[in-house]
Amino acid sequence: MVAGAADPPISGNGDPISEEEALRRLRLTDDPSAQYYAAWWLGRNRSSNPEAVRLLQEALRQRRARDVGAGVEENAVARNAARALGKLGAAAQPAIEDLLATLEDEDDGLREAAARSLGELKANEAVPALQRRLASGPAVAGAQRSGTPRLQEPCEALLEALGEIGDASPDVLAVIEPFVQHERPLIRSAACRALLQLTQEARWGEQLLALLQHKQLQVRRAALMDLGGVGWRPALPAISATLAENSLKLIALRGLVENQDAGASSQLDAATVAVLEAMDDLL
Amino acid sequence: MTVSSDTAAQVADLVEAVRRADSALELLQATQALAASAHPDGAACLVEILGFNNPGAAVAAVDGLVAIGTPAVETILTNIDGYNYGARAWAVRALAGIGDVRGLEVLEDALGKDIGPSVRRAAARGLGQLQLESLSEAARSSSLNRCLAVLLDGCRDGEWVVRYAVIVGLEHLARSWFSVLQAPGQASLCQALRQLKDNPEEEAPVVQLRAALALQRLEDVHG
Repeated sequence: MVAGAADPPISGNGDPISEEEALRRLRLTDDPSAQYYAAWWLGRNRSSNPEAVRLLQEALRQRRARDVGAGVEENAVARNAARALGKLGAAAQPAIEDLLATLEDEDDGLREAAARSLGELKANEAVPALQRRLASGPAVAGAQRSGTPRLQEPCEALLEALGEIGDASPDVLAVIEPFVQHERPLIRSAACRALLQLTQEARWGEQLLALLQHKQLQVRRAALMDLGGVGWRPALPAISATLAENSLKLIALRGLVENQDAGASSQLDAATVAVLEAMDDLL
Repeated sequence: MTVSSDTAAQVADLVEAVRRADSALELLQATQALAASAHPDGAACLVEILGFNNPGAAVAAVDGLVAIGTPAVETILTNIDGYNYGARAWAVRALAGIGDVRGLEVLEDALGKDIGPSVRRAAARGLGQLQLESLSEAARSSSLNRCLAVLLDGCRDGEWVVRYAVIVGLEHLARSWFSVLQAPGQASLCQALRQLKDNPEEEAPVVQLRAALALQRLEDVHG
């Protein structure tokens, strides 16, 4: 995962607002910038208002076929709506169908947002579609499109979603594995993350440790976030030692503490205390 | 301690190597060499490196400044960069690591007002580990109360990592000075940790765990 991937709120609209006000703004279908902020706000504040999910679903349907050169304001709203739904947990269950439909959109930015949210919601229903999008492998799904640095498919998000959802059946693993050889280190990192999450096999974690030594800071940052996202404890010394901002190392180490099986994440055992002490040293 | 002119010349060479470095790796290596000298003449250059947006070199520069210790404090205080919050975070971290009480005001301001969470975080840690041993009793008590007050305010910081650092600051403060604090100070310190541990609104379980660890350690020592 790349840190800070979410768009910042539109400036001038970033005022503190109430949930009621956010819902009101999300209804303003003729004011995409008000809707854009409102959708972001509802996700950020993990709104539990049932009306929020319904309005976000509507915002998601506001997307339109991509018309290069035309404004894509509605798609920006839809993208934020997709992201927000991923943060609403069980309340967002009714929106999974809409997210699955969004996963088929022509706009790869929307597919990316939908994939991440389906992963966050651990939506098992999404596995076949995620697999299908990746099935052609690094040479097709993972090929760079002409005229843009973007790939045919938002591979990072698709791979991460498969890891988050947690279906470790052999055909899922077989779709992910070829991406460990992708030419881009960020894709390799996402693939290793997903495989480590699904199999807990140390060989995938070790590949992430190798990426912590990569010469590009951006790659080291991604590997940090991926190790934290999985909560792979053997990474502790390598995370402490890698050359990156302490802020990101702290987020990764927080992941090592919190992303454990239920129960294990609320105990002060020796292994947890070791991670906390490593965090203390980075403050 | 007198410093031989030879050593001063060597430090000048090390500073020159930092100036000549034209890749991130060279800068890192030159900074590490300068930091390892732990020589006060290197302080100004090390402070400058904090603003280069090279995390590896900044870590090494902070280590160097902490190794120089008290003689570096004046240089750090006069060169705090008001506009580059990355650099300010490293400077605050160096002051926190040195623990010189002249840094108290900067640390107080940083935790209370700085917009950068990484600056507030470093300040919170530093406020727990100022070296107050050599102060008069009155001065120590006043410094301690200032540290405690700003740390208690920091418990309500909006960023999890700052709340985490505040806990670490409170734990360190208690470890060194708990019995010196007056009863109301002791009580509010313990209460703050308990609130952080039990706060149902806390979004970061790691903050609650760290508060639990601090309380556990405090109880082991003071019952």
